[in-house]
Amino acid sequence: MTLPHREADVTLPKPARKDPHVDLEKLDAAADLMAINMGPQHPSTHGVMRIKLWLDGEMIVKAVPYCGYLHRGVEKLCERLTVVQLTPIVDKHDYVSPMTNEQALNIAFERMLGLEVPRRARYMRTIIAEIQRIASHLLWLGTFTLDIGGTIGGGASLMMYTFREREAILDVFEMLTGARFHYNTHTVGGQRHDVPVGWPAAVKKMIDAVDAHMPEYEQQCYGNDVLVLRTKGVGVIDRELALELGLSGPNLRASGVDLDLRRDEPFSAYDEIKVNVAVATDGDVYARFDVRMREMHESIRIVRELIDSIPEGPICSQKPVKVPFAVKLPAGRQFYTAIETPRGELGTYVIGGGAEKGAAPYRLKFRPPSLHAMSALPYALVGHTVPDVVAILGSLDPILGEVDR
Amino acid sequence: MNYIGGSWAALEATLRNFLRPVVTESRPSKPARPPESRSERYRASFALTTDEHAQGTCIGCKMCENICPSGVITVTAGPKIESKATGKKRGSAADFVLDLQGCIFCEMCVQVCPEDSIVMRRVQQAPTYSREGLVLTMERLYANEKALPATWGNGTVLREAQEPKRGEAPPAPAAEAAPKAAAPVAEATPKAAPDAPTGGTT
Repeated sequence: MTLPHREADVTLPKPARKDPHVDLEKLDAAADLMAINMGPQHPSTHGVMRIKLWLDGEMIVKAVPYCGYLHRGVEKLCERLTVVQLTPIVDKHDYVSPMTNEQALNIAFERMLGLEVPRRARYMRTIIAEIQRIASHLLWLGTFTLDIGGTIGGGASLMMYTFREREAILDVFEMLTGARFHYNTHTVGGQRHDVPVGWPAAVKKMIDAVDAHMPEYEQQCYGNDVLVLRTKGVGVIDRELALELGLSGPNLRASGVDLDLRRDEPFSAYDEIKVNVAVATDGDVYARFDVRMREMHESIRIVRELIDSIPEGPICSQKPVKVPFAVKLPAGRQFYTAIETPRGELGTYVIGGGAEKGAAPYRLKFRPPSLHAMSALPYALVGHTVPDVVAILGSLDPILGEVDR
Repeated sequence: MNYIGGSWAALEATLRNFLRPVVTESRPSKPARPPESRSERYRASFALTTDEHAQGTCIGCKMCENICPSGVITVTAGPKIESKATGKKRGSAADFVLDLQGCIFCEMCVQVCPEDSIVMRRVQQAPTYSREGLVLTMERLYANEKALPATWGNGTVLREAQEPKRGEAPPAPAAEAAPKAAAPVAEATPKAAPDAPTGGTT
């Protein structure tokens, strides 16, 4: 007995990967497509987003992602609050790595005003950013493997273990700043909280624990045929497409582009250390997975290298903030700068001279890496099945708080 | 065959953790963690301090109200009173309300307080069933001073930690000066097009 197969009697025009916006009317004439919505509240959509999928049988012929469900109007809010009040607000953009959000914002202001940052503060920023990168990638690893499923106890239990490490990292941050999420530890010109007694030892203990557990995670992932089979060759984004879409961070490096702002445009203390950039060439889900796993090892190495050599000295080059208009931006000056966050290039575009006698930015625009990662979905999803959507979306690691702002 | 290796590793880790003692506890009848296990900088609640004569130290200067990003602090300035500690005339607060519903615990009010009057506490307010329970009135803030364990610092401590002249003379190696000179060059062209990112010192 042979089952009637749709592909046998319908000749679909092969969807051009370069142009995902295929004309649906043309397709409808040949086959009756089914449109389904994935999200907005789907466990694997990592926040609140919706992907509208047009299916022919099980195959996706067109996909359109919709964002905006988490829009909070933060960029407008940034025009009302002054520069020194913004740091705790931007924590909520990329809610998986709040520290690098603060860092990007304050580095933008410092570079715009030409302020110097003490060496001790730059070391602290680098260490914090690398620990945050480990925490962010751990959360990604846990949720990604949870989405993929996997072996007996493979997917869900790995998430529990990565959250255990992330908890240890949050404890380290709590010891430094006193908070688990709204750290508010960066300020214009340096840091607000100095290193407490015993913090380097606590960091080393945490890093050793993470490093000791990494082989376990790798064995469960690399050694798992289900995960490897579901990721290899799925959701390929080639080099040209990645550059064209403005992907950055691990997603770009997995497509074979050797670009990392930590090495290429050093900020904080990255000019004093060597960063080995992990690059893969395949551009598929497996490559993105592999790049992130290797980045975690690199971050562990950087933290170990820096934690013993934090120089003495002040932690801030500016007087402590006492009034909201302590920092003023020059009116009319426009400035763009970017740093490398765990997700890629987080750019900040500032126009000076806004409300509150010029102490607030006239306009503050963020260039979130996750937004550009989402723009790859229409290209990467076409030709795959619905379960692959989960794998591809997880591998791109978009954080919707950052996409919608 | 690889499949068995991965499965076995996962099963082994699951079994190992399955046999551990239970570590979860019920909330809110019991605190999730004792306050001693928290970092001494843990920011969880607020208090207003009193001096040794049981007189509130708040002078009603509204600096915390001005800096608060969420705008949850409302201070009503009171009459000038005589300070029992110094014998001088100073301002006072007639009312001080902090609404925890919108507070993000950013610690800015603590940092700006010139009298070290508002400080943080290490234990959260008890969960409540009403919205009013989350509004810290002046009475509750003064009660918190004795009721909840203190954090490490106050405004003076935070400001001294950030003092640029603190410690040794600030080291200024040549590595810092060189990239800084490059920054104004890229800024000199204020265009709508994004400027070339500069190799700044930040």
